[in-house]
Amino acid sequence: MQCFMCGAEVGNEKVCYNCGADILLYKQIIYTSYVFYNQGLEKARVRDLSGAIESLKSSLQYYKYNTRARNLLGLCYYQIGEIVLALNEWVISKNLQEDNPDADRYLAEIENAPGFLSKINSTIKKYNQAVEYCKSGSKDLAIIQLKKVISQNPNFVKAHQLLALLYIEESKYADARKLLNQATKIDGNNTTTIRYIHEVKSRLKEQNTGRRKKKTDTVSFLDGNDTVVMSEKSFRSMLDNSGASLMNILLGLVLGLLICFFLVVPTVRDNAKDSNSKTVLALNEALAESKSKSDSLQSEIDSLKEDLSAYDDKQDVATSYDNLFAAENSYNAGDSETASQYIQLVTKEVLGEQGQQAYDTLYAALSPAIIQGYYDDGNNFYSEENYESAITNFKTVVDIDENYNNGAALFLLGDCYRLTDQTDLALECFEKVVELYPSNKWGKQAKVYIAADDTTLDAKEVGE
Amino acid sequence: MIDFEEELKKYEPAIEVEQAEADIKARDLTDLTDLLFNMTAQNNGTK
Repeated sequence: MQCFMCGAEVGNEKVCYNCGADILLYKQIIYTSYVFYNQGLEKARVRDLSGAIESLKSSLQYYKYNTRARNLLGLCYYQIGEIVLALNEWVISKNLQEDNPDADRYLAEIENAPGFLSKINSTIKKYNQAVEYCKSGSKDLAIIQLKKVISQNPNFVKAHQLLALLYIEESKYADARKLLNQATKIDGNNTTTIRYIHEVKSRLKEQNTGRRKKKTDTVSFLDGNDTVVMSEKSFRSMLDNSGASLMNILLGLVLGLLICFFLVVPTVRDNAKDSNSKTVLALNEALAESKSKSDSLQSEIDSLKEDLSAYDDKQDVATSYDNLFAAENSYNAGDSETASQYIQLVTKEVLGEQGQQAYDTLYAALSPAIIQGYYDDGNNFYSEENYESAITNFKTVVDIDENYNNGAALFLLGDCYRLTDQTDLALECFEKVVELYPSNKWGKQAKVYIAADDTTLDAKEVGE
Repeated sequence: MIDFEEELKKYEPAIEVEQAEADIKARDLTDLTDLLFNMTAQNNGTK
């Protein structure tokens, strides 16, 4: 150990041999400081923060370099909501002993908490304002401010105590007691808090004894959220009148039911009818609208079908060209019958200009074979009495060549019309046959039909 | 029985954050070891 005066090494000596300083006294002072520190630590552990603060202050009065005591003092201040005092202790501690990791940590935690200091400062300002309000007699304003302070800094014991004091002054002892209990949880052995608690207890005791006396001649009951307090006499008279009140209530109920039956029910029924008719109208409108929608959709379907058929025609282009080539090939190979079958499968309209020219050339070359085919088929159908199909075939022949087989095709077409009761068309054909071949057998027979309008002749008699 | 007015006098405004520095500077940090040092110094001076 070194002498506190001259710095000479003194070991276990009581007096410095160099300067004569009282080393023993110095040691005793430091020892006492640590005794107070230990006391403070014990008190802080049992939440007697006021006691701990007193002990730690004493410790530091003996030896200011006891940084552990100073750091703990700061922590105690922090716990009772005195943040600025806590900060002061930690800053001093850091200044007195530079290598001070505890103080560093505490200060860093406060610095790193965003907005913490500004929040604490605003609570302190509010507290100071509340103190001012109290001193100027504005207790209500002070109460408001203190409530805010406690909500922002719930550990601020002084604010709890001042608010409790105001509640005691306002005779709100239950509120004061609640606050003081909270303060006790923060600082368990604060003399001011304990004194206020005793005061509240004694005043509550007085209040309760006064109430018991009053209770003997009053009756209280709850009416909704209100507590009704009545003298016993008036309460009894109220109960006596309750029979008449019951009758009045029953009469009121009967009247209400009658009004409901005669006035309200008919109105409700009318309203229901109105609403029903409105619903029917609305449904009709909806139906008409759906019909129009359905029509428009149908027309859309039709137009789409048309488009589809046009598309199908377009699809026919490739097939038509295939058939045209097949017909050409068969014709070149000398198979006119197959060629005529293929060319009849070609749709001329879908072909290009050159395709159409090729078609016409080939068709002209094949037309005798084609006409012969149609004519033979027509005759076959005619023989089978399938006149509808016979008409189709003969008509094709006549369309190509009216004079085919010396008017036979034209005559047979007319005869098919005659046998299917299409007299006008039949006469038209017969007249043409007579005009073209008046002297051959078709012309003569046609004349017979025209002159006699004879429809009884058997078809087989004239068919080939 | 608590006297409200008397009790109120015990409540002083708390130190605000802005006043912290001034409070630290105004703090008397003299301890018993300082007194002992001064007393010893005085004694040594008189001798």
